Amino acid sequence: MTIHRLPNPEKEQVELGYLRLSDSAPVIMAQEMGLYKKYGLDVTLRREVSWANLRDKLVIGSLDAAQMLAPLPLATAMGLGGMRAEVLTGLALSLNGNAITVSPSLAAGIAEHGGDVIESARSTARGLAAHQRENPNSNTLTFASAHSFSCHTFELRLWLNAGGLDPDRDVRIIVLPPEQMVDSLARGIIDGFCVGEPWNSIAVQGGIGAVQATGYQILNNGIEKVLGVTRQWHQHNGATHLRLRLALLEACAWLAHPANRRQAAYVLASPDYLDLPVDYLLPSLTGEYVFSKDQKPIELPHFHVFGRFQAGFPWRSSGEWLLQQTGAMLGKPMSSEQTKALVQQTFRTDLYRESARYLDLPCPSGDYKPVNKHSDVWQMEPGIELGPDLSF
Amino acid sequence: MSKAGQAEKSLRLILVDDDSRRAAIVQSSLVKGGFCVLSIIPTGSGLLHQMAQYEPDVVIIALDSPDRDVLESLSIASAHNPKPVVMFSGAGDSGFITDAIAAGVSAYQTENLSAERVKAAIDVAVAQFSAYDTLKRELVDTRRQLKDRKIVERAKGLLMSLHNISEDQAFSTLRTLAMDKNETLGQACQGVVTLLEKPGKNGAEQ
Repeated sequence: MTIHRLPNPEKEQVELGYLRLSDSAPVIMAQEMGLYKKYGLDVTLRREVSWANLRDKLVIGSLDAAQMLAPLPLATAMGLGGMRAEVLTGLALSLNGNAITVSPSLAAGIAEHGGDVIESARSTARGLAAHQRENPNSNTLTFASAHSFSCHTFELRLWLNAGGLDPDRDVRIIVLPPEQMVDSLARGIIDGFCVGEPWNSIAVQGGIGAVQATGYQILNNGIEKVLGVTRQWHQHNGATHLRLRLALLEACAWLAHPANRRQAAYVLASPDYLDLPVDYLLPSLTGEYVFSKDQKPIELPHFHVFGRFQAGFPWRSSGEWLLQQTGAMLGKPMSSEQTKALVQQTFRTDLYRESARYLDLPCPSGDYKPVNKHSDVWQMEPGIELGPDLSF
Repeated sequence: MSKAGQAEKSLRLILVDDDSRRAAIVQSSLVKGGFCVLSIIPTGSGLLHQMAQYEPDVVIIALDSPDRDVLESLSIASAHNPKPVVMFSGAGDSGFITDAIAAGVSAYQTENLSAERVKAAIDVAVAQFSAYDTLKRELVDTRRQLKDRKIVERAKGLLMSLHNISEDQAFSTLRTLAMDKNETLGQACQGVVTLLEKPGKNGAEQ
């Protein structure tokens, strides 16, 4: 039931890009559940092979909208790495969802030095640093991230830092496509990686790697994927954009129920979407996560967060944090005025509020939320429940 | 290296493409155009290693290669990466990227090179990718047409023997069927063949 009348869509045919990842669940489930159709849209999902392709097709208009890494709209606005264009988001699609995996031999070294991922990700970071100090003559460790400007890279750097390793000098960080990571780890080309699911679980189930940290442990409820469109597209297709966000908000709300996650895993696994055995998708989506082969699953209900804790809200504080991480990585911090201005035009909290109004959903009144203050679920204001926000 | 020496030296390229036939065509055109192709590599075979080894001026990469994100990571200058690359965007030609993407190709160059010099090489690659794409589509079309023709003949034959009608009558029946069902003639004929060739269905209902 929609109380408020929706404006007619400027265009009904929508091409929506996504990548082969478990947290593509919202864009895929919205299709399976007929939610796009419910909002008068005929959406075609396009699985892309790289974030660069996804960005370029979005910019030239062969995609209307895309699931994007949260830092990517900002990096695209700055022209980092590739094409420069104004991309904005009015809806975050998921929180958390990544993990750091290392080879079994390195995992053994970390464990020998007291690293235990079940205890904390900080302990494995310290274990890694201690292991490195004891083997000063070993080769520089190489870690892979899925993209330069991604939460994967930022989480990896934070984790290394937490143990006392300098991510720029003490290790080498390279970029590899997720689908090449497991094989590269098996062949010893890399020693570890930070990637989204299901690629950690694939390494774990094959006995090729052991998880040493989850994204949630490094940064509780960090923004991960967003719905990106170009500013120009939004200006011409405001009503279509709104309808798309409403469909995706409903899909995220459905995914917020733990009971639905198993079904989502089966849908995602099908040849139409991720085309992978469902066993790879189940651990992270059901939150019964396995850190290394032959270990019992651990309950991690927040491994992926969809639709809870105001997950859809594109907090400006999150955007600014992403830009700070980007600046730190490039060794070129941005001024706070530049940061604020770029985030303001990219993380469109006003668009989120517009969609929340149509669905009568409660919505935060401010654009900023605290970081590193809450170890538990808390009320920001009446009706606004947020998750823990501890970080390294 | 003197400036004159640099101007005379031909551009050195790496080609990243999983389609080895396409890569060979692109390579041969580039070589004919006076460019030096250092290496052709498929996805996932050590692009970073090759980049460090050859230090190419230009990388031409197929859009269907997931290695594009790897290449873009080399835009960040570091001790490991003294020669950062930038995406080639066509030297102020706004239509270039659209054309290149439509052709299925993208390109990166080292920062210090002038875009005009690089453009000559990339134009060759875009033209070849585009031509290859057209050729491939034509091949698919031709194959489908051949398949359609065969299936139309079979459907006609089945109808003629079943209803004892002429070839023209059979064809006209099939055409009407396709129009009614809003299908191509090939699709409609496929439907008829599937139905009539079902085992145990020799025209009589069970």
